Amino acid sequence: MLNQVFFAGASEGLALGNMLFLLIAFAILMLLLKKFAWGPVVKMMEDRAKKVADDLDSAQEARQSAEALAKERQEHLTNARADANAIVKDAKQAANKEGQQIVSEAQANAQALQERAATQIEQDRNEAMASVKDDVADLSVTIAQKIMQKELNLDDQKALIDAYIDGLGEK
Amino acid sequence: MNEKTASFVIAGLKFDWPTVISITVAMAIVFIVFTWMARRLTMKPTGKQNVLEMIIEFTNGIVDDNLSNRTGDNLKFFAFVLFSFIFVTNQLGLIVHVNYDGVTYLRSATADPLVPLILALVSIGLSHYLSVEKLGFKKYVKNVYFSPYAFLLPINIIDQFTSYMTLGLRLFGNIFAGEIVLGLIWDLAKSIGILTMVPGLLLAVLWIAFSIFIGAIQAYVFVVLTMVYTGEKLE
Repeated sequence: MLNQVFFAGASEGLALGNMLFLLIAFAILMLLLKKFAWGPVVKMMEDRAKKVADDLDSAQEARQSAEALAKERQEHLTNARADANAIVKDAKQAANKEGQQIVSEAQANAQALQERAATQIEQDRNEAMASVKDDVADLSVTIAQKIMQKELNLDDQKALIDAYIDGLGEK
Repeated sequence: MNEKTASFVIAGLKFDWPTVISITVAMAIVFIVFTWMARRLTMKPTGKQNVLEMIIEFTNGIVDDNLSNRTGDNLKFFAFVLFSFIFVTNQLGLIVHVNYDGVTYLRSATADPLVPLILALVSIGLSHYLSVEKLGFKKYVKNVYFSPYAFLLPINIIDQFTSYMTLGLRLFGNIFAGEIVLGLIWDLAKSIGILTMVPGLLLAVLWIAFSIFIGAIQAYVFVVLTMVYTGEKLE
């Protein structure tokens, strides 16, 4: 039995047809499977692997860009804060400066005003003094005339008035 | 098992009906099942697509384990078809035996010694071909027949021959023996009557379970050894 199985139909020659049939059938099976099963599935698996890799890459990129954006924001924020601080500082300085200027201007104005007032007063006083001097002279003459019309002659009178006026001037 | 065969002759070549039919049926099953599994593929695999991808990844794993640096990429499809066909044809003989007029028309094609030997010839031939293609003929001869020492040439030649023979005969022996034992158990079950029928059936169930396991293991071993033989010739 074993002999018959081993060399199936050995008496009539080896079943070469079986070999040929197997080889051809195997080749056809490979062709068909490649077209209908292996090809599409492997393509799908590769697509999936590619998609996963792409997704990972794009996720990585998105994360990086998000990080860059956050960093940029942070930078902007810091810059803005610094800018704000600088602006406030500048404004304070400017305000201080202006305030000081205003104060000094006001002081100067006041000084000038005061000086002007002082000169005006001095002038007025001088003017007033001069007019008073004249008035006093006229008045004293009139009064003196009225008081001492008959007791003093013109010369004595004149000497007396001059002496008085000189004394007034010395004062 | 049956000793009788039915054959036909075309252009001087002898064809055995059982082998031809068994091969055709096994291949048809492989083709139909995988084509059905590969229908309506989606990016997110479900159900049958998952199963098909698992099988593909399993055979790809066998290839990658033995051929480093993706040198075996173009062998992956061969490994897949080889594994699928051997697996299905191993199981086929356990599931159905079609007997007509004393001739078993449908059984495991691998229980016919010529089928595994031809498959082994294809595998071993492919490994030699790939080695020549990759290393060039001179380096191939040196690598395969004169290494590690030139005086090992006879042993290396015997080694190449025995690796071919054992690759084929291992598969044949396992499946053939499985069917023989199943037949013997069946004979035992029928021998006396109801008394032997019950333990016989029980034994048959156990043996079929074991044979399914053996069939799967042998398909795996055949592909693994094909890749091992290819891998050692490519180094």
